[in-house]
Amino acid sequence: MATATTPFPKVDIRPVSSLDSDASRLYTHIHPLLLLSTYLLQFKEIVADPESALASMLIPLVVLQLLYNVVCLPPVGSPTAKPSTTKSIGKKKPGGPVGAPISKRITTSLLASIVTILIGTPILTTLLILFGAPLTTHFRHTVLCAAHISLLAGLPLTYVHGIEMESWRRISALMLPIDEVFGAAVGTILGAWLGAIPIPLDWDREWQKWPVTIVTGAYIGWAVGKIAGRYLLHGKIIDLSG
Amino acid sequence: MKLLLALANLLIPVAVLVFATGFFPYKPFIPGLASHDQLSNYGPPPERHFDRLIFMVIDALRSDFVFSNNSGFTYTQSLIRSGEAIPFTAHATPPTITMPRVKAITTGSIPSFLDVILNFAESDTSSTLAAQDTWLAQIRAGRDRENDGRLVMYGDDTWLKLFPDMFARSDGTSSFFVSDFTEVDNNVTRHVPGELQRSDWDAMIMHYLGLDHIGHKAGPTSPNMIPKQVEMDGIVTSIYQAIETQPHLNSTLFIFGGDHGMNDGGNHGGSAPGETSPALVFLAPKLKRLPGRRESPVEQTGGFTFYQRIEQSDLVPTISALLGFPIPKNNLGVMIPEFLPLWQNPKDQLNLLLRNSQQILSIVKATFPAIDFSGSSTPDLCDDPSSDSQALACQWSTIQHRLDTYASSDMPISIVLSGLYRFCKDAQDLMSSTASNYDLSRLALGSALAAIATILSSIAIFYSLLLTNVDMFIFTLITILFGVMMFASSYVEEEQHYWYWISGGWIAFLRFRSSQKKINMGQIYSLKSQASIITLLILHRIIQRWNQTGQKFAGYPDIVTSILFQYPAALWTLVTITYLVAAHQISYSLGKHLHYGYFISTISAILLTICSLTFKLSFTASDAPELFPFLSNTSITTLQSLPLLALARTIFTFLGAHATILIAQAIRAPHISAYAVLSTAQSLLTLLVMTQSRAHNIPLFLLFSIQQSCLQNLKLTPAQLSATSTFFAHTAFFAMGNSNAISSVDLANGYNGVAGYNVIAVGLLVFISNWAGPLWWSVAGVAMLAEQPEQPSAGGRSWIASEHAHLAGKDEKSQEEPAGGELKGRYIAHLSMATFFTSASLLAVMVACTVLRTHLFIWTVFSPKYLYSMAWSLGYHFLVTLGLSGGLWALGKKDV
Repeated sequence: MATATTPFPKVDIRPVSSLDSDASRLYTHIHPLLLLSTYLLQFKEIVADPESALASMLIPLVVLQLLYNVVCLPPVGSPTAKPSTTKSIGKKKPGGPVGAPISKRITTSLLASIVTILIGTPILTTLLILFGAPLTTHFRHTVLCAAHISLLAGLPLTYVHGIEMESWRRISALMLPIDEVFGAAVGTILGAWLGAIPIPLDWDREWQKWPVTIVTGAYIGWAVGKIAGRYLLHGKIIDLSG
Repeated sequence: MKLLLALANLLIPVAVLVFATGFFPYKPFIPGLASHDQLSNYGPPPERHFDRLIFMVIDALRSDFVFSNNSGFTYTQSLIRSGEAIPFTAHATPPTITMPRVKAITTGSIPSFLDVILNFAESDTSSTLAAQDTWLAQIRAGRDRENDGRLVMYGDDTWLKLFPDMFARSDGTSSFFVSDFTEVDNNVTRHVPGELQRSDWDAMIMHYLGLDHIGHKAGPTSPNMIPKQVEMDGIVTSIYQAIETQPHLNSTLFIFGGDHGMNDGGNHGGSAPGETSPALVFLAPKLKRLPGRRESPVEQTGGFTFYQRIEQSDLVPTISALLGFPIPKNNLGVMIPEFLPLWQNPKDQLNLLLRNSQQILSIVKATFPAIDFSGSSTPDLCDDPSSDSQALACQWSTIQHRLDTYASSDMPISIVLSGLYRFCKDAQDLMSSTASNYDLSRLALGSALAAIATILSSIAIFYSLLLTNVDMFIFTLITILFGVMMFASSYVEEEQHYWYWISGGWIAFLRFRSSQKKINMGQIYSLKSQASIITLLILHRIIQRWNQTGQKFAGYPDIVTSILFQYPAALWTLVTITYLVAAHQISYSLGKHLHYGYFISTISAILLTICSLTFKLSFTASDAPELFPFLSNTSITTLQSLPLLALARTIFTFLGAHATILIAQAIRAPHISAYAVLSTAQSLLTLLVMTQSRAHNIPLFLLFSIQQSCLQNLKLTPAQLSATSTFFAHTAFFAMGNSNAISSVDLANGYNGVAGYNVIAVGLLVFISNWAGPLWWSVAGVAMLAEQPEQPSAGGRSWIASEHAHLAGKDEKSQEEPAGGELKGRYIAHLSMATFFTSASLLAVMVACTVLRTHLFIWTVFSPKYLYSMAWSLGYHFLVTLGLSGGLWALGKKDV
């Protein structure tokens, strides 16, 4: 509550740019391919036995997301996570953020994953139930679904934004400028929501059962959101206030 | 703009009616009573085999109830084994409800879909069969047309309504309280021994309802089901033994069967295999002569088919042949070939089939006047027939040729017989497939009118200053998505999921949108708003699970069956709380807005509430006594004996009186605001819809009103309020257990306070009880619109919000809150949105029905949806949104 007109501390609401390194530029493209193909390979098992397949997929998901954070993204509070105001066009010159020391990236990333799992999963489980997930049955399915969504959407978001209240207030209002992290998060949530569409169809397919379509929607939405956030919609704001 | 809107609203009912007249197929109806013609070459009809008929309908007697291993019909099964009973599965075409089925098994025709509506308006004289040719009319007319036949009837009074003055003796039972498993049947059975002693009747009809009631109440696996089957088998036994022993009954044909079946939930109306597969059994000692013996019990051959599957209408020509009557003129049934061997002379068999085919042919000719059925179709037309009807004409000319020549050639008569049978079956198929009967130009005109209404209302929206924002964009998107969904049969069947899903998303959208506004203004999203959003979501989640509906998940556990029915004390606690809240709101608004004074308003509210609660208790005690496990039998009997009629009339009279005072005050007094009128009306309406709802749905109104106060906390824009009430109205419709299937129409509260039969009163009450939720939300939505922004809401501002406002150095008035002047345009804006949604969804349903008119599910999914759309647009939009809410809005002052 700092000033009379804006009671909240100003936060950096500029879009996050990924780290300016070759490894970062390379891995940010490989990452969705790796993650989606892992999911695709597991899809049959997920349909057959969602509970154990989704549980065992959590490990590769965490590992890949951690790798993505460490290699590609600037951790919260990193001084270099500033926009390249004096951006030079030179190819090799460090124009974007170069990232905090690797040790900080690793520790932040691990902390973020703990926060995501311990706080994000229960919140998302609650939200899933509020938005129609079964309550009296399939509870473990729902928790696992929430864990996947929260690791997909929340882990990089927590890594980049930390637990800064104002950032999360803006995230909860969808009001951050779009970048690949926020875009992926919005995509995941939207994808999960749209994933409910095929459930009532009378096709009687195995994959229509809870929560396969939701998780699939989340993964697809995540990839689409990540790519769109990095390229198409970078820097734009979802303006619902008009 | 108002003109455009008025025009759009005028177009909607026109479009609905034009489309309906083109969509519900015209069935050619041939008046008069058939008589036996002399067929050249074949002479008079062959002799009859039976003189008397006993026709016993057991409502909802599904095939497996009689024929399977797990059946109580052991005596019947022994007769099947001995050849004295001939079993069939008689396919009942949807809609599988009693009245159209009775029409099918008496006239042999396939009842038009309009009979579904008329089923709910039973006394409408146009739907009686008094003027139609039926086997009942034939029997009554007498075999030689000299001595009148006599018929007697016991059981479901549908028959008495369909056949006024037909029966010499009768005793009707009404199917009102489905919890009655025994009385309805005992009332039939007690007449049977006496009638079997008498010989003064030619046909006895019985219609037992108990088995259907058991199904509705507890499903086909209810523990009461087998004992009921045993009871029915006992009646079959006594009748059959009387036929065997009593001389005056020795040439009696005994037929029993179901009018329709039931699904796994015990309901019917749709097209599930269980619903369309009733049993049908012919019994007579004479039938032993027929060749072949059958096993019993047997396994089904799939889809509840046991033994030969026939059409229900095939019963009609078969009865006519066996009893020696002319086939009723509008019959589309085909003589069941299993019975042909009763006539040993093949010429007689030919005679029967030829009469059957000529009779069907006369309907085919009436339907396709352009096709030449004279038997002289030229070969070039027949090489590649241009239509099914042309192909049928060619088939007929082949038959004519064979008939003319078989005697002189060495063609076996069996070929002629099978050709005739084939022709009858093909004609039946052609006439049952309704695709040929649509009036496409009317369908197109109806759709075009709906399209114009959609365009006009979208122009009205476009020019409304209140509606040009992102809210409107989302609303339009949701409307379009809904329209798209109407083309997929699963989404029509499971429409509730769309509204549950969209409403959840919409609540999230409201949260994002208003928190963005707050951030833009440098304010915090208040705790109160936060809590309201979460409460809205939680309640929305509870409401969705209140009643399972639709097809796919219909039998799954829900709050009503797994909580309220298990713990009735919880149900009645919630019902009482809901009534207390309703009473409070009534006394508050009567006192505050109508200035009744504390004493009178409290007394009025208490009186109304006590009447309504007593009515509900008494009604439920009759309908579902198991919901009072904590009451002794005598108390339940006392409750049941309360005067339901008088109670309901008292409630309606009180409500009417208050409404009259409200209107009078609003007209006379200069300072009654629109909000005062609407919130008073809403409190009275709440009591009305509670009276018209099932007890287990009453607590929903408590949840709705909590949702309403959450919405009021959120200070939504007019467009948001209108959109929200539209979405919540649809959610409420489905959450109360309704669906887009005819079988889910709830008639239980249709006769509250109505003694005789009054189409308008019953129709209105049925509409109110089925649309109770939407009705409530429509008025609630407009009431919220009428709230004066300047008035501090009842609870006042929460301290957090005001503190932040103070800290922000701003007054909340500077927010985007409409000024008083804007209140005037709000209803018009609301109406534009409602008109747009109604006409656009109507358009979508019309186009879907037109495009998919040959779809397999047209009569089971899309046509019922069109009937529901008619109710939504004529009943909900026209009467409620425009008439009731608009009228109330107009009554109140907008500038006080």
